[in-house]
Amino acid sequence: MSRRKRMMEHLEQDIRDFIERETQDNIERGMSPEEARYAALRKFGNVTRVKEETREVWSLVWLEQFWQDVRFGLRGLHKNPGFTTIAVLTLALGIGANTAIFSLIDAVMLKKLPVKSPQELVQLTAVGPYGVSSFSYPGYQRYRNENHVCSDMLAIGWLNRLEASVDGQAESLEGRIVSGNFFTLLGVGAIAGRTFTSQDETMLQHNAVAVISYAYWQRRFGFDPSIVGRNITLNRTVFTIVGVTPAGFSGPEIGYSPDIYVPMTMEPAFHDKPSWLDQPDFHWLRIMGRLKPGVGQEQGRADLEVIHRRVLADIPSKGWAPADYQQLLSQRLEVESAASGIVFGLPKELSLTLSILMAMAGLVLLITCANLANLLLGRASVRQEEIAVRLAIGAGRFRLVRQLLTESAVLAIGAGAIGLICARWAGDAIVLLLSVGRAPLFLDLRPDPRILAFTGAAAVLATMLFGLAPALRGTQLDLNPVLKASAVRLGARRSHRGLGSGLVVSQVGLSLVLLFGAGLLVRTLENLETLDPGFDRKDVLLFDVDPTKGGYEGPAVTRLYEQVLEHIVTIPGVRSASLSMMVPITGGGGIDNSVWVEGYTPRPNENMTVYVNVVGPRYFETLGMPLLLGRDFSSRDTETTTQVAVINRTMARYFFGNDNPIGRKFGWYGEDKNRTQFEIVGVVKDSKYETLREQVPRTIYLDCFQRTIGPMTAEVRASINPAAVISQLRNEIRAVNASISVGGFSTLEEHVDDSLGHERLMATLSGLFAGLAVLLACVGLYGVMAFAVARRTNEIGIRMALGADRAQILGLILGESGRLMAVGVAIGLPVALVAARLISGQLYGLKPADPLTMAGAVLLLAGVAALAGYIPARRATKVDPMVALKYE
Amino acid sequence: MSTQEQRERIELLQGTLDLLILRTLLLGPTHGHAIAKAIEMRSEDVLQVEQGSLYPALHRLIKRGWISVQEGTSENNRRAKFYRLTARGRRQLVVETSKWDKLAGAIARILRPAEQEGKS
Repeated sequence: MSRRKRMMEHLEQDIRDFIERETQDNIERGMSPEEARYAALRKFGNVTRVKEETREVWSLVWLEQFWQDVRFGLRGLHKNPGFTTIAVLTLALGIGANTAIFSLIDAVMLKKLPVKSPQELVQLTAVGPYGVSSFSYPGYQRYRNENHVCSDMLAIGWLNRLEASVDGQAESLEGRIVSGNFFTLLGVGAIAGRTFTSQDETMLQHNAVAVISYAYWQRRFGFDPSIVGRNITLNRTVFTIVGVTPAGFSGPEIGYSPDIYVPMTMEPAFHDKPSWLDQPDFHWLRIMGRLKPGVGQEQGRADLEVIHRRVLADIPSKGWAPADYQQLLSQRLEVESAASGIVFGLPKELSLTLSILMAMAGLVLLITCANLANLLLGRASVRQEEIAVRLAIGAGRFRLVRQLLTESAVLAIGAGAIGLICARWAGDAIVLLLSVGRAPLFLDLRPDPRILAFTGAAAVLATMLFGLAPALRGTQLDLNPVLKASAVRLGARRSHRGLGSGLVVSQVGLSLVLLFGAGLLVRTLENLETLDPGFDRKDVLLFDVDPTKGGYEGPAVTRLYEQVLEHIVTIPGVRSASLSMMVPITGGGGIDNSVWVEGYTPRPNENMTVYVNVVGPRYFETLGMPLLLGRDFSSRDTETTTQVAVINRTMARYFFGNDNPIGRKFGWYGEDKNRTQFEIVGVVKDSKYETLREQVPRTIYLDCFQRTIGPMTAEVRASINPAAVISQLRNEIRAVNASISVGGFSTLEEHVDDSLGHERLMATLSGLFAGLAVLLACVGLYGVMAFAVARRTNEIGIRMALGADRAQILGLILGESGRLMAVGVAIGLPVALVAARLISGQLYGLKPADPLTMAGAVLLLAGVAALAGYIPARRATKVDPMVALKYE
Repeated sequence: MSTQEQRERIELLQGTLDLLILRTLLLGPTHGHAIAKAIEMRSEDVLQVEQGSLYPALHRLIKRGWISVQEGTSENNRRAKFYRLTARGRRQLVVETSKWDKLAGAIARILRPAEQEGKS
C-alpha cells in the first residue's frame, strides 16, 4: 500500500513537472504564458485518466474500483426500490429453488458420510432378475472371513415395529441391529460411554446392550449425563444403554437416522424362532466393507464374487420352487462405492426425481434471468444519457460494463443470500412431502461448502446471463444523437427492442416446456388419485393391534382377536371390521410365494409366484371388494377344519381360465402336499396390492383365524367420520383385555395418499415452477409491450387521426404480442415434447405427447399472455391523437 | 480502461514504447518530460508520445524492476523525478532490442517483395 502511495506521489509531481516544462517550452516558442499553459494541458490530455491508468499498474485498483462500483450500485438500487425489490425477489426465487433441489441432491448423492476415510467404503448388493437382494447372516460371515480385499466388513439390519419403553413410557423407534465391528469399522467413537466391540458379537444373547444416537439422547433424555447404564425396554427385553454416538453421525444409510443400535447377537430377542442368524436363505442384512488401501472396486468385486458363489451354494434347494432357486443362483454380486452411504430403495428413485426437479429449477432460473435482463434493458435506456455523458468525458467502455455488471452481481449476491435461507426451509418442506407414512425421511440439509459454492456459482452465472447483454448493449452508444436529448428516445430503443423481444420469446418458450411438463405430472397424480384400486378407500380406519404384548400365544391370541372384532362392531357408526397382515398399497414389500395348483402343469421355469395376504372374515366387505364367486371366510373355518383361501380374479383367470375355481386346491411349492393344502372357496374382485401403478398381481387371501398370528392391522368401516370412533375403539379393546396394544391410527385414504408422496411432490413442485415461469414470462411480455406502445404513441396518434378506430388499434398491439407469443410457442413446443419423453417413466395413464395437456398448456399460456398484452393495448387506445402528435 | 480506438493504439505501442523508454534511459537518468521529448526528437517527430501511455508504461517498468524512480535536482536547480535504468533493465533492453530486430526483420522480409523501393 505505502509503495503504491509513494509511487502516486512521484507520479503527481512528475506530471506537474511535465506540464511546467511543456509550458516553458511553449513560452520559448513564443506563446504568452497563459496560452502556453493551456497548450501544455491540452497536449497532456486527461490528467485524471493518466493517473487512473497508472494507478492500475499498481494493481489492487480493481479491488478499489470494485468497492466503488459496489457502493455506486447499492446507491443506484436504493434509489429504485421497486426495481430492486422485484429483481431481488424473482432472482431469490430462482436461485433458492435451485439451491433447495441441489441441497437435496447433495444430501442424497454427494455428501460423504462423516466417518473415517469414507471413500474406502463399499456396499455389497446381490442383483438378480427381479431386483436387488439383501444378505443372510451366515453369508455375511463368509464374505467377511474369506475375502482378501476388505480390511473389514459390517452388517446392518432393520428392527421393524420396534417399541421402546423408558420408565414406563412407550414410543416406537427407528432401530438397527448391527455387527460387533460396526462402529470400529466406521471409525465412529462414543461421546459418552462406549460403542460396540467385536466381543459384543460373540457373547450370545446375554448381552443386552444398546448404543443410542445423539439426537435420541437429546430428544428423549435431554442430554442426561448419567445416560450410560440406564435401562430401556425394546419390545420385551430390557437393554442397558452403554454409549451415545457423536452429533454428526446418523448411521450409514442415506435417508434414515436410527435412534438406537443393538448388537447382532441379540437378534433372537426381536424375532420368533428359528433365529434368523442361522438361516442361510433368509436375506435381511445390508453389508458394507472397507476396501484395503490400493484395492479398486472391480478387484474387490472379482474377489467377493468367488465367495458369493460359495454363499449361494450353501443355500439348500429344498423348499424353493425351481424357478425361484434358479433366479437365486443367477444373482450377481455388485460392489458400489458407499462413500455417501448405503443406498436403500427410496434414494435410488429419489435421485431420478431430483434430477428432473433440478432441470426444472434450472429452467426457472433461466426464465428469471431473461426477465431480469429485460428489466435491466429498460433501466439501461433510462440511464442512457448518464452513460453517454460518462463515455463522452472519457470513461472506458470496459470499465462501464464492469461497473454495470458489478451492479448486477450485487443484485445476484443479495438474491443468493435470501435464496440460501429460503432453500433451507424449502428443502425441509420437500423432505416432509417425501416422508411417506410413519417413517420420516432423514436428509442432512445443513449448508456445506458444496451448497454454498453451488449458490455462489448460480449467482455468478445468473449475473452473466442477465447482466452481460444489457451492459454491453447499454454502453454501445452512438454518442452524438444520444447527447442531443430529443433524439435519445428514437435511436437507442430500436436496438433494445430486438433483444427484449428475443428474451420474451425465449421466456414464453421455456415457460411452455415447464407448463407442459407440470401438466403431465399433475394429470398423472390426478389419474392415480382417481383410479379405482379395486377397493373403496373412503371411511376406513386403520390401526395396529398387538395382543401378544400381554404374553399371549397361539389360540389365545386368536381368541382375543375374535373378541376384539365382536366388540368393535357393536360401536355405533361402525359397519364392519376385520384384520389383515398387509394393508394394500404398501409401496412395496409384499409377501410372495411360489405355488403349485391342482390341475395346472407349469412350463419349465414358469413364474408361479402369487402375492399373499392373511385376512380375517369380512375383510372384503370392510374394504368394499365384492366377492364374485363363492363365499367369504367365516367362524366355521378354524384351525382344525380344511384350510381355505379366497383368490382374486386375475389368479382365477390365470390358472383356471373360464373354469370354476371353487373347490380347487393349491399349496406352497416344495412343501408336503398333505401338510399344507388350501381349498379355494371364493373369488374376489381384483385390487391393487403393492402400488397403484402396478398391474394387479395374482393374489390369494388366507384366513387369519386358521393359523398362528402375531401383530395385525385392523380395518374398520364406519358410516360416520372414522376418526370419531377412535376413543370408543380404544375403550372397547381395553374392555376385552387391557394388555392389548393399540396404535398407529390412520385412514385407508391417508394410507393410499401417502403412497403418492412422490407423485404429489413432483406435481406440486413442477406446478409451482411452471406457475412462476408463466408469471415471469407475462411480466416480460407486459414490459416489452408497454415499451412498444410508448414508443409508438406518435404512430398510433397518426393512425387515429387518419380514422383508425379503437378496435383496430387494440388489434394492432394485441397482434404484436400475439406474434411474440406464437414464436415462443413454436420454439417451445418441440423442446417440450422432447423433455416430456425424458420424464415418461414418471407418467401414469397418459402418453408423453398427450395432446390434451399440450393444448391446455398452450391455451393457458396464450390466455395469460393475452392479458399481459391487453393492458398496454388498452392504453394505446386511450391515446389522444392531439397529444400523441405533439409528442416528441 | 479506455475506449476502443485508443486501446488499439496502445496495444500497438505498448511493447515498443517500453523499448524506447529503456533505450532513452540508457543515455542516463532523466525525467518524464525529457523522455517524451527525447523520443519525439530522436524519431524526428514521427513518433508522438501520448502521456496517457507514457506514465502507465513508466510505472509498469518500475513495477517490473527494470527502471527505478528517484528524487533529483534538474539542470535549473528544480526538484524533479528522475527515472534510471536498473541492471535488470539493461539486460532487458538487450533482450527487447533483439526481439525488436527479429520482428522488424521479419516484417521487412514480408513487405520487401511488394514494395521494391523499401531499403532498410
